[in-house]
Amino acid sequence: MLPRRFCHCHRARLQFLSTRLIGQNVSGDQYDVIVVGGGHAGTEAAAAAARGGAQTLLVTQKLSTIGTLSCNPSFGGIGKGHLVREVDALDGLCGRLCDQTGIHFKVLNRSKGPAVWGLRAQVDRLLYRSAMQREVCATALLNVREASVEDLMVEDPDASRPGLARVTGVRLGDGAIVLGRAVILTTGTFLSGSLKFGTSSVPGGRLGEAPSVGLSLSLSELGFTKGRLKTGTPPRIRKESVNFDKLEVHHGDERPVPFSFMNAEVAIEPSQQLLCHLTYTTPGVEDVVRDTLAANDHVQQDTKGPRYCPSIESKVLRFPGRAHQVWLEPEGLNSELIYPQGLSMTMPVEAQVALLRHIPGLEAADIAAAGYGVQYDYLDPRQLHPTLETRKVQGLFMAGQINGTTGYEEAAAQGIVAGINAFLHTRSLPPFTISRTEGYIGVLIDDLTSLGVTEPYRMFTSRAEFRTILRPDNADQRLTERAYHQTGCISGARVVTARHIASRLSEGISLLKSLCLSSYRWKQLLPEVGISQERSGHMSAFDVLQYRGVTLDALAAVFPQDLVPFLDLSDRIQVEALYEPHAEQQKLDMEQVRRDEQLVLPTDLDYLHLPASLSIEAREVLHRHRPPTIAAASRLPGVTPAAIMHLLYFLRASGQQKEAGGPLVER
Amino acid sequence: MLWKRISKLRTVLGVLNRKVPSYGRFKPRHFCSVPPVGQGHTIFALSSGRGKCGVAVIRVSGPASAFCLCQLTRMKQGLPPPRTAVLHSISDPNSGELLDRGLLLWFPGPQSFTGEDCAEFHVHGGPAVISAILQALGSLPGLRPAEAGEFTRRAFQAGKLDLTEVEGLGDLIHAETEAQRRQALRQMAGDLGHLYQTWSHTLTRALAHLEAFIDFSEEENIEDGVLNQVDNFVRQLQMEIHSHLHDNRRGERLRSGVHVVIAGEANAGKSSLLNAICQRPAAIVSPIAGTTRDVVETALDIGGFPVLLSDTAGLRDTHDIIEKEGVRRTRERLEQADLTVALLDVVGLLEASNKLTHLLFSFLEDLNVRQKQQCILVLNKIDLLHKKELNDLHCALKKEEDLPTVCWLSCKTGSGIEEFLRVLRAELEILCGNPLLGMPSLTQARHRSHLHKCLEALGLYEYYKRADMALAAEGLRSALASLGRITGKVGAEEILNLIFRDFCIGK
Repeated sequence: MLPRRFCHCHRARLQFLSTRLIGQNVSGDQYDVIVVGGGHAGTEAAAAAARGGAQTLLVTQKLSTIGTLSCNPSFGGIGKGHLVREVDALDGLCGRLCDQTGIHFKVLNRSKGPAVWGLRAQVDRLLYRSAMQREVCATALLNVREASVEDLMVEDPDASRPGLARVTGVRLGDGAIVLGRAVILTTGTFLSGSLKFGTSSVPGGRLGEAPSVGLSLSLSELGFTKGRLKTGTPPRIRKESVNFDKLEVHHGDERPVPFSFMNAEVAIEPSQQLLCHLTYTTPGVEDVVRDTLAANDHVQQDTKGPRYCPSIESKVLRFPGRAHQVWLEPEGLNSELIYPQGLSMTMPVEAQVALLRHIPGLEAADIAAAGYGVQYDYLDPRQLHPTLETRKVQGLFMAGQINGTTGYEEAAAQGIVAGINAFLHTRSLPPFTISRTEGYIGVLIDDLTSLGVTEPYRMFTSRAEFRTILRPDNADQRLTERAYHQTGCISGARVVTARHIASRLSEGISLLKSLCLSSYRWKQLLPEVGISQERSGHMSAFDVLQYRGVTLDALAAVFPQDLVPFLDLSDRIQVEALYEPHAEQQKLDMEQVRRDEQLVLPTDLDYLHLPASLSIEAREVLHRHRPPTIAAASRLPGVTPAAIMHLLYFLRASGQQKEAGGPLVER
Repeated sequence: MLWKRISKLRTVLGVLNRKVPSYGRFKPRHFCSVPPVGQGHTIFALSSGRGKCGVAVIRVSGPASAFCLCQLTRMKQGLPPPRTAVLHSISDPNSGELLDRGLLLWFPGPQSFTGEDCAEFHVHGGPAVISAILQALGSLPGLRPAEAGEFTRRAFQAGKLDLTEVEGLGDLIHAETEAQRRQALRQMAGDLGHLYQTWSHTLTRALAHLEAFIDFSEEENIEDGVLNQVDNFVRQLQMEIHSHLHDNRRGERLRSGVHVVIAGEANAGKSSLLNAICQRPAAIVSPIAGTTRDVVETALDIGGFPVLLSDTAGLRDTHDIIEKEGVRRTRERLEQADLTVALLDVVGLLEASNKLTHLLFSFLEDLNVRQKQQCILVLNKIDLLHKKELNDLHCALKKEEDLPTVCWLSCKTGSGIEEFLRVLRAELEILCGNPLLGMPSLTQARHRSHLHKCLEALGLYEYYKRADMALAAEGLRSALASLGRITGKVGAEEILNLIFRDFCIGK
């Protein structure tokens, strides 16, 4: 079946698409995996499933909006950069596309240690979107269709797995039915979305786009628990109306660090990068907010918004009397717009204009599109397995804002996990999950599925227990090889690169460890380094590298023959050396968590009536959160060590686990 | 940092070399050296009962067990033969001071209780000896006090327990954690508890500020002063914890003994029962309900067990401010009780005979009785009932299996008191078999060990604070985890709450 409208597509792509659609879909409307939504979660999900070999269909309301950055024109940041790196290590798209379309690259937290570096890039909004559309179209087995999804088709469940129903496909707006063995919902803010301007409210998922109301209803009918969240976006400002003269200028890095492990450098010439500017609010802003409060419904309603990404209204109300930062970010190489980061607002347009008058540089600012608020339904993510498949409906997956998260990176991270697992599901292969000990993606999904959300969830590095091990520099070493073996959704080129780096890293490190000199000799060779006078005996070059101010280059001057071949890896080797003394302790703690994560709790346990001696409090907490593993259960407030032992006993006694005495492993 | 610790250890070993000349000729077995931390923590605990025991057993499990045997005994012939008791002197690894002479047992894994390398020290049962040895163990690298149930948990994970053994485990750990919780509550109620809480708050705050600086300072207005503030917090903590650990007064007086609380409705005869147990008028008794308004506390020796017996104000709704406070204190006492003596007027029971069970259970629930083992139900004033009425009640209660032990008595005539004392003694015997119960010096040893670890981790912060903030924060995180073992865990969400409360973060 041909999509009805292609008006937004380039001509070449249109032809490519239509031949693909006709050529590969001759058997009728039947796919392995159907992805609903073409945002950051949807594109990663669809591409991952197709990489694995699933016949995949991406359904979206508007083909032209695939890959749109609906809020800020940037990717990454602190904690979020870690996620992009991990998505890239799983052969995802967003890291590579940022490297292609970035216009200002900056590593945040440079001075704070490589474990918390935040890779960040401003990207060209239009270039990114079209690069993503090209990428989607060029992915084999991935088809796209413009339609709205109104309903989910379900049947009786597969009796061998937990669940109340099994998804079989979707019904489109025109009544057509498309069959699929797995369906991934990545509808973002579109579920019963409504846009708020001042006191008026319009149904919509994004400016100018209709919400998904039918789908929201059919999810309710299936018995999913929903909640409502809010978020907002700032007004877009015409560049020529901004006076940049007085503002603080911020340049991109001289040596931009690419997101992708596949890229040695980014596309843009470092010197060609665009500038960002910083300005601050003044007391006048506060007055405008207070004066227009009555005409600002969004701020006054009690739907949960994020604590950390509040609108300018909630910022000045909660922290009055301060100057708040406003970043002026370029939207693209040829764009006439500026994105004022930090000025998300929902007041009436006239008030927005008045407010900008009180910000240096924006006194004469001309608003191209007003800021607005969005309220939308999300589904309680505790209804999901760690694979992002729903517990209720087999084969139905959810990823992105629909699970209560915020941010492109969080969406992409969930998308790729959902896509990989949807593919594995269609092949009846064991699921692929990432533990808290393996990546920020694991932390994200574990937090969502075991604790749920009370506000839009955003990644911070402080959420990760094993921060010095889960670093942006080693995401490929943590994830690529395992994902390649367990999923088949990783391309050959990707794993070859990761392996090559792995073997050279370990070669380099063991070489450094073998180069030993007496500490006296080291002190002579590197007098400027503060090697302790009390130290005696031999030190390896790797030990010396842990000292502040020692670089691999300096060591290569001492051992040129041995070390010069490894200079291209100097950054990574140096980071490994820095964290090595601490790694042992962390690995010990990780081992404990991992052991508990191996102890899987059946998803259909009736905690309220379990014949085990559990307190009522513990029963209720367990019933509400349904932790997937003993590890998740022990993180729940109110679950005591005694309750954990009773659970373990129950598992063993009820024969849920294999032989007595052996490890209680299911995963 | 790690090599620093190891080199410190080498110095310790160096001292040993000098003091024991033959050590140089004797080739130490390889496992007598410090095992790398990577193999897992080694845990230790007092695992024998208290009460009137002549011998105490201290158990060690984990990869450093052999190392710790060598350190405490300085055996010249290497380790003793496996699973054979050997008499040997035990001394402090740092000062060389002789602590005790006792039996040593060495159980190489996997043929041991936990499946790991284990060692046991059978020493004299005095509290001074025990706490000295526990402190010596805590000072060794890689060793820490076991958490409640940790030995059994390790045994379980190694597949060393069969199903019937596991069945009792949850209850055992529950009892252990409950006993620790109550012990902690008692200590936390005092100045010491207040001090620890203050430290925990300061440290949480310091960590929240550092985390905020890491996660938000590049894009948000986090004032530059934040780091200095963290430094100040940490320096202050270091100073206070350090001087606390070196304070020879050893903190406040700790109340010792099994806490038994008599509680019940007003005018049920609680004070009369206390007097009957003490055999002297310790409390004022009168027929007026609400006579006892404050907690009356008596230290007793019952059957050889140290007991702190409290008589409390009767639980009832009242408008009297003083009595209200008395009721609040009663509830506080009940929360901390090891054993509750729940007292009821039997006449009242007779009147409510149709909903007897409901009445009894809601009464026990009101008294915060969580387990029937922690309670004796006493029915007073049987002298006021006819024999037949008494018999009927007897029969009705016999059917209830979930009730605690029931004692029938009359404080007025003294009938049934002897039987009650027998039951009380039996309960005390069970309670004192629990090694974790009410031994202040043991709790103190645990605290000291955790505080030392906390201080060490704060040093890690100092070392890394200008070089690598992720590592510096790791120092604060593990300092908080150590302190959290005393004051309760602080989770990531609480840190984030503090961040969002203290800073305006609005990317």
